[in-house]
Amino acid sequence: MRTSHKLASLALGSAALLPVLGAGTAFAADGNVNANLKPVALNGVNGSGMASVAVKGTTITVTMAANGLLAGSPHAAHIHFGADARHECPIITDDSNKDGHLNTTEGGPAYGPVVVSLTKTGDTSAASTLAVDRFDTAKGGKISYERGSIKVTQTVADAIVAGKSVVVIHGVDYNENGKYDGATKSDLAPTLPTEATDPALCGALSAMPTGGMQTGAGGASSGTSDEGRLALGGGLILVAAGSGVYSVRRNRARS
Amino acid sequence: MNTSTQHAGRRRNIMVAASVVLALVGLVIVWIATRASDGPPQPPANAGHSFSASVTPTQAGAVSPMAERTSPSSSPTANHPGDTDLGPILTASPPVAIDIPSIGLRTRNFVNLERASDGSLDVPQDFSSVGWYAAGPSPGQLGPAILAGHVDSHNGPAIFYRLGELRPGARVAVSRQDGSTATFSVDRIRRFPKNHFPTALVYGSTNRAELRLITCGGSFDQKSGHYVDNIVAFAHLVA
Repeated sequence: MRTSHKLASLALGSAALLPVLGAGTAFAADGNVNANLKPVALNGVNGSGMASVAVKGTTITVTMAANGLLAGSPHAAHIHFGADARHECPIITDDSNKDGHLNTTEGGPAYGPVVVSLTKTGDTSAASTLAVDRFDTAKGGKISYERGSIKVTQTVADAIVAGKSVVVIHGVDYNENGKYDGATKSDLAPTLPTEATDPALCGALSAMPTGGMQTGAGGASSGTSDEGRLALGGGLILVAAGSGVYSVRRNRARS
Repeated sequence: MNTSTQHAGRRRNIMVAASVVLALVGLVIVWIATRASDGPPQPPANAGHSFSASVTPTQAGAVSPMAERTSPSSSPTANHPGDTDLGPILTASPPVAIDIPSIGLRTRNFVNLERASDGSLDVPQDFSSVGWYAAGPSPGQLGPAILAGHVDSHNGPAIFYRLGELRPGARVAVSRQDGSTATFSVDRIRRFPKNHFPTALVYGSTNRAELRLITCGGSFDQKSGHYVDNIVAFAHLVA
């Protein structure tokens, strides 16, 4: 009885400490980053898009829109980051098996492993990398995505703010028959065709411009430059009045 | 009447005349000062600092540009029922000219802008040029294309002087290097304090092709040599 009471208070005490520990990790800077999503080299997608991530502590909000994707099929989408990666989208020379396409594994040296799965519902961790039933199906080939309250580790939050993460939307239709198929199996899951997981659109997340812009020099402002003119003009009028009064007085004194 | 009084009389007349001239010059200067004291056009007062009311915080508490999204029902692109509607979208192509008839703005002077070392967006060196944030979307691509210009130079109005006069519904035509023209309709015009600038709302991703026109506004701080606010016009692609 006493022991369990002690255990309970110990647990409560630790729980009370948690917010303090949490606050300790909030030293890292918050930030806003953007990515222009462009067709992945060699994979022939005729589309584009844009993604933004707002980082607040270890919570992120992701907004993303894209077009030109295979319509009506699930498109896995992720934020990738690897400490050893190049923090960019893959290029032609990343096609290590020289088959003329870039698969997800071949993109690894460029963008690293999945750190966030941009699912519409449920889990957003790397465990949901291939949760095909929870990704956007690009109705009409277009995606409009927004999700907040996504929890990430401090390392991932820092990497995103530092411009080291990459957004990738997967799923291409090489043979243009309107579905994922073909003999080549996915490098990620042998049950799926490679079309379903090859990267389609990609963009590195880098910092948005911050704060306001200095777009004025004041030459047409209503500020103190006109107060200066007012003072000068007023001063001249006073001097004029003074000298006028003086000459009139002198005139009276004489007559 | 002797010569000395005649002499004094002439001196007196000269002094009176000089006083009259001085007074006139003073009046003219005062008139110029009061005439110019309106400063650059500003958006209506109700669209001023109340921007926080127009931004819906997401669950995460972050500013979300998507929260302001409107459904572009009159989109000219043919959408199948149930398709995701992103409105009209153009491919990438840099801007080469801009035409805003309602404020008499028309120029082919374009320069590319980058992020400065302090993280803020650079401004054009030339007071008559419009700057385009080239690392962001082209006018007509998904997301907000960013165009910025000076409101005034050291001695008078600059290219975006009349931006504060823009009103919702105004047309903005941006000619592009590929020969196409992206036509935008102004949704709203806002004034934000530079030290509370809504970065994500202005620069963050949107689910249609949008445009931001940015210049300076508010009062001019003589100490810093800068205006204290930015005026931002928000527009979306209609054709």
